[in-house]
Amino acid sequence: MLNGGEQGDVGGAPPLTAPAPAADAPAATALRTAPAAGRGRRAVRLDVGVAAVALAVVAAAALRPLLERLLDRPAVAHWATVFVAIAVQAMPFLVLGVTVSAVVAAFVPAGLLQRALPRSPVLAVPVAAAAGAALPGCECGSVPIAGRLVARGVTPAAALAFLLSAPAINPVVLTATAVAFPGRPEVVLARLAASLLAAVAVGLVWVAAGRDELLDRARRRPQRDGPPLAVLVATAQHDLLHAGGFLMIGAATAATLQTVVPRDVLDAVAGSGPLAVAALAALAVVLAICSEADAFVAASLTQFSLTARLAFMVVGPMVDVKLVALQVGTFGRGFALRFAPLTLAACLAASAAVGWWLL
Amino acid sequence: MTAAGGLISVLAGTVLLRLAITGIYGRYVRVGMGPLLVVAGVAMVVLGVVTLVRSLRRSGDAGAAEAVAHDHDHGAGRIGWLLLAPIAALLLVAPPTLGSYGVDRGAKVDVRAGASAFAPLAPGAEPLPMTLLEFSQRAFDRGGASFNGTPVRLTGFVAGAGPGGEPGGFRLARYQIACCAADAAPVVIRVRVDGAGTVPPPDRWVTVTGLHAPGGGEVPELAATSIVEIQAPNDPYE
Repeated sequence: MLNGGEQGDVGGAPPLTAPAPAADAPAATALRTAPAAGRGRRAVRLDVGVAAVALAVVAAAALRPLLERLLDRPAVAHWATVFVAIAVQAMPFLVLGVTVSAVVAAFVPAGLLQRALPRSPVLAVPVAAAAGAALPGCECGSVPIAGRLVARGVTPAAALAFLLSAPAINPVVLTATAVAFPGRPEVVLARLAASLLAAVAVGLVWVAAGRDELLDRARRRPQRDGPPLAVLVATAQHDLLHAGGFLMIGAATAATLQTVVPRDVLDAVAGSGPLAVAALAALAVVLAICSEADAFVAASLTQFSLTARLAFMVVGPMVDVKLVALQVGTFGRGFALRFAPLTLAACLAASAAVGWWLL
Repeated sequence: MTAAGGLISVLAGTVLLRLAITGIYGRYVRVGMGPLLVVAGVAMVVLGVVTLVRSLRRSGDAGAAEAVAHDHDHGAGRIGWLLLAPIAALLLVAPPTLGSYGVDRGAKVDVRAGASAFAPLAPGAEPLPMTLLEFSQRAFDRGGASFNGTPVRLTGFVAGAGPGGEPGGFRLARYQIACCAADAAPVVIRVRVDGAGTVPPPDRWVTVTGLHAPGGGEVPELAATSIVEIQAPNDPYE
């Protein structure tokens, strides 16, 4: 009875009608045994959420002519295309990251990861940073994984070093860099060295001066109990919506900056040495390009020195507007406000040092 | 949030699948991304369906422990509603490919970077299809000597007259993307229309046939013999 009513309420949203009958039989047995009061309250709540989703889709359908007229304006169309592009590009990698994170939550015993790392945080940081090389993908995937590692009791500094290094030094990104800079293997080496250096430096600073209570949001994440598959689904669903929502904030910010700030403003400062490094670091933060693609963009910025372009490739995977939004969501605002400037400083110092040495 | 979250997940996965299957995704990311989008879309739909089924089932037996977990989801899950904005929009309208608006706003592709010396084209009367990038690179390689007088066919969108543009000509542009439209950089050439027809309006896609015109300066030039308006291609980026 109750189930039937719920189906009726959301009849406007076609995808729901397919799965619902599958739930019918077991739910019906559960209904008979459940206390009446709790059942009623829950059903109302459920309807509100599902009805709100259906309402949003219906409202969008009603506003369709307005949307189409908005897209006739070139600036709005440009914004929308860049926004959708970042979201669509990031989604498969976010799904990968969320899946890995959920698998860790469901199948890896709580103490295992701690035991796998050296007990001393000072040693655990470089080991975790180097382990980042094993995770193919871009930065969107590494945030939920790092959050999961913290929730599983891994030393926060080590989890942060992994968070920073994974999107910068994995084989996919290094291969893309080699393709973007043909005949310049020293660029690939410099990127690897500077990224590792920055990740380890940030991790060690966190060991010395970090405040782990800033990570409480990640630590307090619900540890679901139950059969592993149920934990897998619940965790993946929760993380996907959570990280996905913050990804939308980041993508909208990047699209706005790309539409509003002409890139020529930044290109104008290409000439002088330290200023050019700072300019490309700022560009990396603002553009929020996927770490698998930033090497191609860096290669096209030929008016800049190689060291400045190295800074672009080191900063991009570690600090950008989309990533900061994801970090706010996973670890909290207080954390992100301290972590992003620290990381940016470490990236600039590492790029300058490695650039001076190798390039 | 749980049931609604499942529904949002199903919708988001559906949007990804729709973009991948219709080929519209080529406006936003590289065409090779299609299979990855399908995998991600299927994963999101399956995840959403399982969540929906489980929460509908659970709505019957309201255990105390479940209620606690549910309350937590309420606090943490609110942000997930933001996913609805692009879903609602993309189910109905799809933003267009990047057009002339961005051509003068970003850094252009530096066609001289990494360009090698080109072997001369075989002379012939049949026009040769070519990317704007190759056309520009050949134009800068020894003043366009490698064209060898062979006509070429270029496809791109009209980007207005441009700064200092003369009447009787227009700029033809096409974006290069490495990963997604957020990193797009345009290649721009100038087309001399002369007697080949009228100047098409901005953002119209055209196929232009003609000969490389040497001495164009910073922007390579093509002297057009024919200009044909076309539909925007499925893979609008080079």
